[in-house]
Amino acid sequence: MIRINEAGLRSTVQDRGRFGHLRSGVPPAGAADAFALAAANALVGNADDAAGIEIIGAPFRFSCDDARVVAVTGRDVSLTTRSRLPGWSSVFVRAGQVVTVNLGERTRFGYLAVSGGIATAPVLGSRASYLPAGVGAPLRSGDVLPLGDTDAGAEDAAHRIDPITYDGQARAMAGPHDGRFDAEAIARFFAATFVVEPASDRQGVRLGGVPIAPRPGELQSCGLVAGAVQVPRGGAPIVLLADHGTTGGYPVIATVIAADLGKVAQRMPGESLRFYRVERDEALAALRAQRRALDGGRVSA
Amino acid sequence: MKPRVVPFGEAALLVELGDEFQENVVGWARGIADTWESIFAFGPAVPAYTSALLRFDPLRVAPTEAERLANELLARGEFTALAVNEPRRLIEIPTTYDGPDLAATAERSQLGVERLVALHSGREYTAYFLGFMPGFAYCGRLDPRIVAPRHARPRERIPAGTVAIADGQTGVYPLASPGGWQLIGRTELAMFDPSAAEPVRIRAGDRVRFVPL
Repeated sequence: MIRINEAGLRSTVQDRGRFGHLRSGVPPAGAADAFALAAANALVGNADDAAGIEIIGAPFRFSCDDARVVAVTGRDVSLTTRSRLPGWSSVFVRAGQVVTVNLGERTRFGYLAVSGGIATAPVLGSRASYLPAGVGAPLRSGDVLPLGDTDAGAEDAAHRIDPITYDGQARAMAGPHDGRFDAEAIARFFAATFVVEPASDRQGVRLGGVPIAPRPGELQSCGLVAGAVQVPRGGAPIVLLADHGTTGGYPVIATVIAADLGKVAQRMPGESLRFYRVERDEALAALRAQRRALDGGRVSA
Repeated sequence: MKPRVVPFGEAALLVELGDEFQENVVGWARGIADTWESIFAFGPAVPAYTSALLRFDPLRVAPTEAERLANELLARGEFTALAVNEPRRLIEIPTTYDGPDLAATAERSQLGVERLVALHSGREYTAYFLGFMPGFAYCGRLDPRIVAPRHARPRERIPAGTVAIADGQTGVYPLASPGGWQLIGRTELAMFDPSAAEPVRIRAGDRVRFVPL
């Protein structure tokens, strides 16, 4: 069991997402910064479909009933046991030892993985919380959650994975609806410095500062993916995140590559964001590099 | 437009079949999605009115290979959903017609409220696809005499169970959410239950009828 002494503001159990019910309109949910959760899981020896905790808002404090390997990841994170330990590395904690997760001011989402994984009952094939439909619930102080079995031990501590460079620069492929924008609008999109709006959440990061207008004309709703940059009529783009609607009717000017979506998710309101145009080969190369980084930092358990 | 396959990021493809609603194209989109999921088994698919989103893991299947197969599927020409020959279920939605946009919609359509209710509840709809939120089924087509454009400014919160219409379509909001459709009634029937074996009330392909209370 993991005991949550202090739960932060709106922390939830998340895994890599629920992809089996998209056709029923059920959003994928899962970690908003998918690479950060994947890294935390790799660092404690969990399978890539294990669930961890997405922490929003400090303080977050917990203990486990038996010895576990834990890791915390995110934009600017660390752990405190008796001393302060860096994020993005595996840490051995004894039974009952209280651990504080420290989220820096610039961390929107922190991720905690515990060896064995959070073993709440899956709903529709996944442990990802999706709060708008009452799937899962925000964690509260005093909650006790089951953990899976693990062989990880003290020898699995001190593994490291390099964090993403959380700058305000995300690579994106044009389209699929780039044909619905003038060349000038597309050029402006890839040259603009946007500002993240406060209304951003797990559904999407809302951008202001530079309006981008699609050409007039109706678009039939189509299926969507996280990373899609929708442009509603008002011209303020929205980068879709894990809780995005499964279909939508606004034209998608570009799609942030999977490897860089965590950077977008972690931008704070008021911070800037720029998009750099890449082709699919570069997106794929970046994804492979992240996978190698996960494999390199993975503990053997 | 000519049907085509375009990349949607590195891990998905969008098959675009047309620009406008056509009954046969809806079936074609679902057929492509079914084939992608059940025969190629590369990943989930999301069909809509005139398109199908096809997902895959680009570290397992090269995107160029996924694209080649999607194009091959498209080159077969029009075919329909695999399940098209199964008997289609009829889902009845008990409805209280008292929505905030009922009177204005009746007036805009130059119909009385009673006549509008009779037209909305007097035909059987097809659930074309689900999207937007869990359990939201896009059903159609509305009687063409009902004039229901989307609100220019969407409402911030529409209660769960609201029966709504827009642009030839009708549906039920399964959860409280923002939305731009015209609200004409409500139902007590739960449209989405994540704890049920079948979490959604209406499946794509079902027949749907609204029964006035």
